[in-house]
Amino acid sequence: MSRARKHARPWRDTASAREPDETGLRERLKHGERAAAGEFYDACAPRIARFIAQALGGFNTPQDTEDLMQETFISMAEAIPFFRGESTLLTFACAIAHRKVQSFLRTGARRARIAETYYPPAAPRPATPAATGDLARALGALEPGYRAILHLKYVEDFSVTEIAAIRGESGHAVESRLARARRALKKLMEK
Amino acid sequence: MRPEDGHAELERRMRAAFAPERRPAADPLRERFAAQLLEAAAHPDEVPIEIDGRRLIARRGSTVLAAAMKNGIRLMHVCGARKLCATCRVKVTAGAQYLSPMSAQERLSLRAHLSVSSRTRLGCQARIEGPIGAETVFPLCGDLPGPGQDPAPDRSPDRGAGGLEESR
Repeated sequence: MSRARKHARPWRDTASAREPDETGLRERLKHGERAAAGEFYDACAPRIARFIAQALGGFNTPQDTEDLMQETFISMAEAIPFFRGESTLLTFACAIAHRKVQSFLRTGARRARIAETYYPPAAPRPATPAATGDLARALGALEPGYRAILHLKYVEDFSVTEIAAIRGESGHAVESRLARARRALKKLMEK
Repeated sequence: MRPEDGHAELERRMRAAFAPERRPAADPLRERFAAQLLEAAAHPDEVPIEIDGRRLIARRGSTVLAAAMKNGIRLMHVCGARKLCATCRVKVTAGAQYLSPMSAQERLSLRAHLSVSSRTRLGCQARIEGPIGAETVFPLCGDLPGPGQDPAPDRSPDRGAGGLEESR
Protein backbone atom coordinates (compact mmCIF):
# COMPACT_ATOMS: atom_id res chain seq x y z
CA MET A 1 0.00 0.00 0.00
CA SER A 2 1.37 3.40 -0.98
CA ARG A 3 0.95 4.87 2.47
CA ALA A 4 2.94 7.95 3.38
CA ARG A 5 4.72 6.20 6.24
CA LYS A 6 8.16 6.40 4.65
CA HIS A 7 8.17 10.19 4.95
CA ALA A 8 9.67 11.40 8.19
CA ARG A 9 7.06 12.90 10.48
CA PRO A 10 8.54 13.06 13.97
CA TRP A 11 5.22 13.72 15.66
CA ARG A 12 3.75 10.48 14.38
CA ASP A 13 3.81 7.20 16.27
CA THR A 14 3.33 4.93 13.30
CA ALA A 15 2.49 1.24 13.25
CA SER A 16 5.87 0.46 11.69
CA ALA A 17 7.59 2.25 14.57
CA ARG A 18 5.70 0.03 17.02
CA GLU A 19 6.65 -3.24 15.34
CA PRO A 20 10.36 -3.99 15.85
CA ASP A 21 10.17 -6.10 19.02
CA GLU A 22 6.65 -7.32 18.42
CA THR A 23 7.52 -11.01 17.93
CA GLY A 24 9.60 -11.19 21.09
CA LEU A 25 6.94 -9.44 23.12
CA ARG A 26 4.24 -11.74 21.72
CA GLU A 27 6.16 -14.86 22.73
CA ARG A 28 6.86 -13.47 26.19
CA LEU A 29 3.17 -12.65 26.62
CA LYS A 30 2.24 -16.17 25.54
CA HIS A 31 4.45 -17.52 28.32
CA GLY A 32 2.65 -15.30 30.81
CA GLU A 33 5.66 -13.14 31.68
CA ARG A 34 4.69 -10.46 34.18
CA ALA A 35 7.24 -7.96 32.85
CA ALA A 36 5.96 -8.39 29.29
CA ALA A 37 2.39 -7.86 30.49
CA GLY A 38 3.43 -4.61 32.17
CA GLU A 39 5.37 -3.50 29.10
CA PHE A 40 2.45 -4.15 26.78
CA TYR A 41 -0.04 -2.59 29.17
CA ASP A 42 1.99 0.61 29.65
CA ALA A 43 2.44 1.02 25.90
CA CYS A 44 -1.10 0.25 24.77
CA ALA A 45 -3.56 0.92 27.61
CA PRO A 46 -3.71 4.73 27.19
CA ARG A 47 -4.36 4.36 23.45
CA ILE A 48 -6.97 1.65 23.89
CA ALA A 49 -8.70 3.74 26.56
CA ARG A 50 -8.73 6.68 24.13
CA PHE A 51 -10.12 4.46 21.37
CA ILE A 52 -12.87 3.11 23.64
CA ALA A 53 -13.80 6.58 24.92
CA GLN A 54 -13.98 7.90 21.37
CA ALA A 55 -15.90 4.90 19.99
CA LEU A 56 -18.46 5.21 22.78
CA GLY A 57 -19.09 8.82 21.79
CA GLY A 58 -22.24 10.24 23.36
CA PHE A 59 -22.67 7.14 25.55
CA ASN A 60 -19.32 7.80 27.17
CA THR A 61 -18.94 8.02 30.92
CA PRO A 62 -15.60 7.35 32.64
CA GLN A 63 -17.14 4.30 34.33
CA ASP A 64 -18.24 2.85 30.98
CA THR A 65 -14.76 3.32 29.55
CA GLU A 66 -13.22 1.69 32.59
CA ASP A 67 -15.62 -1.27 32.46
CA LEU A 68 -14.86 -1.84 28.80
CA MET A 69 -11.12 -1.51 29.45
CA GLN A 70 -11.40 -4.27 32.05
CA GLU A 71 -13.38 -6.51 29.70
CA THR A 72 -10.96 -5.85 26.83
CA PHE A 73 -7.80 -6.64 28.77
CA ILE A 74 -9.23 -9.74 30.45
CA SER A 75 -10.40 -11.09 27.07
CA MET A 76 -7.03 -10.17 25.60
CA ALA A 77 -5.20 -12.11 28.32
CA GLU A 78 -7.41 -15.13 27.66
CA ALA A 79 -6.92 -14.91 23.89
CA ILE A 80 -3.17 -14.25 23.68
CA PRO A 81 -2.14 -17.94 23.91
CA PHE A 82 -4.11 -18.50 20.69
CA PHE A 83 -2.93 -15.37 18.88
CA ARG A 84 -1.09 -16.36 15.69
CA GLY A 85 0.53 -13.02 15.01
CA GLU A 86 -1.45 -12.18 11.86
CA SER A 87 -1.59 -8.56 13.02
CA THR A 88 0.18 -6.37 15.55
CA LEU A 89 -0.71 -6.74 19.22
CA LEU A 90 -2.25 -3.27 19.23
CA THR A 91 -4.48 -4.16 16.27
CA PHE A 92 -5.47 -7.36 18.04
CA ALA A 93 -6.33 -5.45 21.23
CA CYS A 94 -8.27 -2.81 19.28
CA ALA A 95 -10.26 -5.55 17.51
CA ILE A 96 -11.28 -6.95 20.91
CA ALA A 97 -12.10 -3.45 22.18
CA HIS A 98 -14.15 -2.76 19.04
CA ARG A 99 -16.27 -5.88 19.63
CA LYS A 100 -16.76 -4.98 23.28
CA VAL A 101 -17.85 -1.45 22.35
CA GLN A 102 -20.27 -2.70 19.69
CA SER A 103 -21.79 -5.12 22.17
CA PHE A 104 -22.04 -2.35 24.78
CA LEU A 105 -23.68 0.04 22.32
CA ARG A 106 -26.23 -2.58 21.30
CA THR A 107 -27.13 -3.20 24.94
CA GLY A 108 -27.10 0.56 25.62
CA ALA A 109 -29.46 1.23 22.74
CA ARG A 110 -31.84 -1.40 24.10
CA ARG A 111 -31.62 0.13 27.58
CA ALA A 112 -32.22 3.61 26.14
CA ARG A 113 -35.35 2.44 24.33
CA ILE A 114 -36.70 1.04 27.59
CA ALA A 115 -35.69 4.15 29.58
CA GLU A 116 -37.36 6.49 27.07
CA THR A 117 -40.65 4.83 27.89
CA TYR A 118 -40.32 5.95 31.51
CA TYR A 119 -38.04 9.02 31.55
CA PRO A 120 -37.65 12.01 29.25
CA PRO A 121 -34.49 11.71 27.11
CA ALA A 122 -31.45 13.40 28.66
CA ALA A 123 -29.23 15.77 26.68
CA PRO A 124 -26.36 13.79 25.12
CA ARG A 125 -22.91 14.30 26.54
CA PRO A 126 -20.37 15.99 24.26
CA ALA A 127 -18.74 13.18 22.30
CA THR A 128 -15.29 14.72 22.18
CA PRO A 129 -14.60 16.83 25.24
CA ALA A 130 -10.94 17.19 24.32
CA ALA A 131 -11.56 18.59 20.87
CA THR A 132 -12.46 22.23 20.38
CA GLY A 133 -14.20 24.46 17.86
CA ASP A 134 -15.87 23.40 14.64
CA LEU A 135 -14.07 20.03 14.58
CA ALA A 136 -15.48 19.13 18.01
CA ARG A 137 -18.97 20.19 16.99
CA ALA A 138 -18.80 18.28 13.72
CA LEU A 139 -17.33 15.13 15.31
CA GLY A 140 -19.97 15.28 18.03
CA ALA A 141 -22.71 15.35 15.41
CA LEU A 142 -21.12 12.62 13.29
CA GLU A 143 -22.56 9.12 13.20
CA PRO A 144 -20.66 6.94 15.75
CA GLY A 145 -19.47 4.48 13.08
CA TYR A 146 -17.96 7.28 11.00
CA ARG A 147 -16.38 8.89 14.06
CA ALA A 148 -14.76 5.59 15.10
CA ILE A 149 -13.31 4.90 11.66
CA LEU A 150 -11.89 8.43 11.34
CA HIS A 151 -10.37 8.03 14.78
CA LEU A 152 -8.70 4.73 13.84
CA LYS A 153 -7.33 6.20 10.64
CA TYR A 154 -6.18 9.67 11.68
CA VAL A 155 -5.59 9.49 15.43
CA GLU A 156 -4.44 5.91 15.93
CA ASP A 157 -2.74 5.90 12.51
CA PHE A 158 -3.86 2.43 11.45
CA SER A 159 -3.66 1.43 7.80
CA VAL A 160 -6.79 0.44 5.87
CA THR A 161 -5.77 -3.23 6.18
CA GLU A 162 -5.42 -2.91 9.94
CA ILE A 163 -8.78 -1.13 10.25
CA ALA A 164 -10.36 -3.91 8.17
CA ALA A 165 -8.92 -6.48 10.60
CA ILE A 166 -10.21 -4.53 13.60
CA ARG A 167 -13.70 -4.08 12.23
CA GLY A 168 -13.98 -7.46 10.51
CA GLU A 169 -14.69 -5.84 7.14
CA SER A 170 -13.03 -5.92 3.74
CA GLY A 171 -10.48 -3.31 2.74
CA HIS A 172 -12.83 -1.97 0.08
CA ALA A 173 -15.62 -1.55 2.61
CA VAL A 174 -13.27 0.36 4.92
CA GLU A 175 -12.06 2.62 2.11
CA SER A 176 -15.54 3.55 1.00
CA ARG A 177 -16.70 4.04 4.59
CA LEU A 178 -13.70 6.31 5.20
CA ALA A 179 -14.56 8.37 2.13
CA ARG A 180 -18.18 8.72 3.28
CA ALA A 181 -17.03 9.64 6.80
CA ARG A 182 -14.71 12.36 5.47
CA ARG A 183 -17.50 13.76 3.27
CA ALA A 184 -19.94 13.75 6.19
CA LEU A 185 -17.41 15.46 8.48
CA LYS A 186 -16.60 18.11 5.87
CA LYS A 187 -20.30 18.79 5.34
CA LEU A 188 -20.85 19.17 9.09
CA MET A 189 -17.85 21.48 9.45
CA GLU A 190 -19.13 23.74 6.68
CA LYS A 191 -22.54 24.15 8.30
CA MET B 1 -0.17 13.97 -5.49
CA ARG B 2 -1.09 11.09 -3.23
CA PRO B 3 -4.73 10.99 -2.17
CA GLU B 4 -3.63 11.01 1.49
CA ASP B 5 -2.01 14.45 1.11
CA GLY B 6 -5.37 16.16 0.87
CA HIS B 7 -6.28 14.80 4.30
CA ALA B 8 -3.11 15.86 6.09
CA GLU B 9 -4.81 18.87 7.65
CA LEU B 10 -7.67 16.73 8.99
CA GLU B 11 -5.15 14.24 10.34
CA ARG B 12 -3.12 16.98 12.06
CA ARG B 13 -6.17 18.53 13.69
CA MET B 14 -7.61 15.22 14.85
CA ARG B 15 -4.32 14.08 16.37
CA ALA B 16 -3.96 17.41 18.16
CA ALA B 17 -7.47 17.08 19.57
CA PHE B 18 -7.11 13.64 21.13
CA ALA B 19 -4.38 12.96 23.65
CA PRO B 20 -4.06 9.37 24.94
CA GLU B 21 -6.17 8.80 28.06
CA ARG B 22 -4.18 9.01 31.28
CA ARG B 23 -4.09 5.82 33.32
CA PRO B 24 -3.77 5.95 37.12
CA ALA B 25 -0.22 5.51 38.48
CA ALA B 26 -1.12 2.36 40.46
CA ASP B 27 -3.51 0.78 37.98
CA PRO B 28 -5.20 -2.35 39.40
CA LEU B 29 -6.09 -3.46 35.87
CA ARG B 30 -2.36 -3.73 35.05
CA GLU B 31 -1.92 -6.32 37.82
CA ARG B 32 -5.12 -8.12 36.90
CA PHE B 33 -4.04 -8.36 33.28
CA ALA B 34 -0.68 -9.87 34.30
CA ALA B 35 -2.37 -12.37 36.63
CA GLN B 36 -4.92 -13.40 33.99
CA LEU B 37 -2.16 -13.82 31.43
CA LEU B 38 -0.24 -16.12 33.77
CA GLU B 39 -3.40 -18.12 34.42
CA ALA B 40 -4.09 -18.50 30.68
CA ALA B 41 -0.49 -19.55 30.00
CA ALA B 42 -0.75 -22.22 32.73
CA HIS B 43 -3.75 -23.87 31.04
CA PRO B 44 -2.99 -23.83 27.31
CA ASP B 45 -5.62 -26.49 26.53
CA GLU B 46 -8.50 -24.53 28.02
CA VAL B 47 -10.19 -22.19 25.60
CA PRO B 48 -12.66 -19.51 26.72
CA ILE B 49 -15.67 -19.43 24.39
CA GLU B 50 -19.04 -17.69 24.42
CA ILE B 51 -22.30 -19.30 23.29
CA ASP B 52 -25.47 -17.21 23.38
CA GLY B 53 -23.67 -14.75 25.68
CA ARG B 54 -22.68 -17.47 28.18
CA ARG B 55 -18.97 -17.75 28.89
CA LEU B 56 -17.72 -21.34 28.92
CA ILE B 57 -14.41 -23.14 29.04
CA ALA B 58 -13.85 -25.65 26.24
CA ARG B 59 -10.99 -28.04 25.64
CA ARG B 60 -8.86 -27.18 22.64
CA GLY B 61 -9.76 -29.53 19.77
CA SER B 62 -13.27 -30.35 20.97
CA THR B 63 -16.26 -29.60 18.75
CA VAL B 64 -18.62 -26.71 19.46
CA LEU B 65 -21.39 -29.23 20.05
CA ALA B 66 -19.35 -31.20 22.60
CA ALA B 67 -18.28 -28.03 24.42
CA ALA B 68 -21.85 -26.75 24.55
CA MET B 69 -23.32 -30.05 25.76
CA LYS B 70 -20.61 -30.45 28.39
CA ASN B 71 -21.47 -27.02 29.77
CA GLY B 72 -25.21 -27.62 29.87
CA ILE B 73 -26.19 -25.86 26.62
CA ARG B 74 -28.22 -28.59 24.97
CA LEU B 75 -27.72 -27.91 21.27
CA MET B 76 -30.10 -29.90 19.11
CA HIS B 77 -28.38 -32.66 17.07
CA VAL B 78 -31.08 -34.85 15.63
CA CYS B 79 -28.79 -36.97 13.40
CA GLY B 80 -26.32 -37.72 16.19
CA ALA B 81 -23.51 -35.54 14.84
CA ARG B 82 -23.34 -37.21 11.43
CA LYS B 83 -23.50 -34.04 9.31
CA LEU B 84 -26.99 -34.87 8.10
CA CYS B 85 -29.55 -32.68 9.85
CA ALA B 86 -27.72 -29.36 10.41
CA THR B 87 -29.83 -28.74 13.52
CA CYS B 88 -26.66 -28.18 15.54
CA ARG B 89 -25.60 -25.27 13.37
CA VAL B 90 -24.41 -22.09 15.03
CA LYS B 91 -23.77 -18.57 13.82
CA VAL B 92 -20.17 -17.63 14.57
CA THR B 93 -20.05 -14.06 15.85
CA ALA B 94 -16.35 -13.83 16.70
CA GLY B 95 -13.12 -15.76 16.16
CA ALA B 96 -14.17 -17.69 13.03
CA GLN B 97 -10.46 -18.12 12.24
CA TYR B 98 -10.09 -20.19 15.42
CA LEU B 99 -12.38 -22.95 14.14
CA SER B 100 -11.15 -25.89 12.06
CA PRO B 101 -11.57 -25.36 8.30
CA MET B 102 -14.94 -26.30 6.82
CA SER B 103 -14.90 -29.69 5.08
CA ALA B 104 -16.66 -30.31 1.77
CA GLN B 105 -19.21 -32.55 3.49
CA GLU B 106 -20.01 -29.88 6.07
CA ARG B 107 -20.48 -27.28 3.32
CA LEU B 108 -22.70 -29.68 1.39
CA SER B 109 -24.82 -30.35 4.46
CA LEU B 110 -25.26 -26.63 5.18
CA ARG B 111 -26.17 -25.88 1.57
CA ALA B 112 -28.62 -28.78 1.50
CA HIS B 113 -30.35 -27.12 4.43
CA LEU B 114 -30.39 -23.75 2.64
CA SER B 115 -27.85 -22.23 4.99
CA VAL B 116 -25.56 -20.14 2.82
CA SER B 117 -24.22 -17.66 5.38
CA SER B 118 -20.44 -17.78 5.51
CA ARG B 119 -20.63 -17.37 9.28
CA THR B 120 -22.69 -20.50 9.89
CA ARG B 121 -20.96 -23.73 10.95
CA LEU B 122 -22.11 -27.16 12.00
CA GLY B 123 -21.58 -27.44 15.75
CA CYS B 124 -20.77 -31.14 15.41
CA GLN B 125 -17.96 -30.55 12.90
CA ALA B 126 -16.32 -27.24 13.82
CA ARG B 127 -13.42 -27.87 16.18
CA ILE B 128 -12.33 -25.17 18.59
CA GLU B 129 -8.72 -23.99 18.29
CA GLY B 130 -9.11 -20.64 20.07
CA PRO B 131 -11.60 -18.22 21.63
CA ILE B 132 -14.82 -17.92 19.66
CA GLY B 133 -18.29 -16.44 20.08
CA ALA B 134 -21.34 -18.19 18.66
CA GLU B 135 -25.11 -18.00 18.72
CA THR B 136 -27.43 -20.95 18.41
CA VAL B 137 -29.77 -21.01 15.43
CA PHE B 138 -32.28 -23.68 16.44
CA PRO B 139 -34.07 -23.77 19.80
CA LEU B 140 -32.21 -25.80 22.39
CA CYS B 141 -33.38 -29.28 23.39
CA GLY B 142 -35.93 -28.73 26.10
CA ASP B 143 -37.04 -25.36 24.70
CA LEU B 144 -39.47 -27.04 22.31
CA PRO B 145 -43.01 -27.56 23.63
CA GLY B 146 -43.98 -31.09 24.55
CA PRO B 147 -47.33 -32.71 23.68
CA GLY B 148 -50.18 -30.63 25.04
CA GLN B 149 -47.95 -27.61 25.84
CA ASP B 150 -48.32 -24.10 24.47
CA PRO B 151 -46.62 -24.09 21.04
CA ALA B 152 -45.96 -20.32 21.11
CA PRO B 153 -42.30 -19.73 20.24
CA ASP B 154 -39.95 -17.95 22.61
CA ARG B 155 -39.86 -14.35 21.41
CA SER B 156 -37.61 -12.94 24.07
CA PRO B 157 -35.02 -10.51 22.65
CA ASP B 158 -32.13 -12.79 23.59
CA ARG B 159 -33.36 -15.70 21.49
CA GLY B 160 -34.49 -13.77 18.42
CA ALA B 161 -37.78 -14.36 16.64
CA GLY B 162 -38.48 -17.95 17.60
CA GLY B 163 -34.77 -18.75 17.43
CA LEU B 164 -35.18 -20.15 13.92
CA GLU B 165 -34.20 -17.19 11.81
CA GLU B 166 -30.73 -16.99 10.46
CA SER B 167 -29.23 -13.81 9.10
CA ARG B 168 -26.61 -13.74 6.40
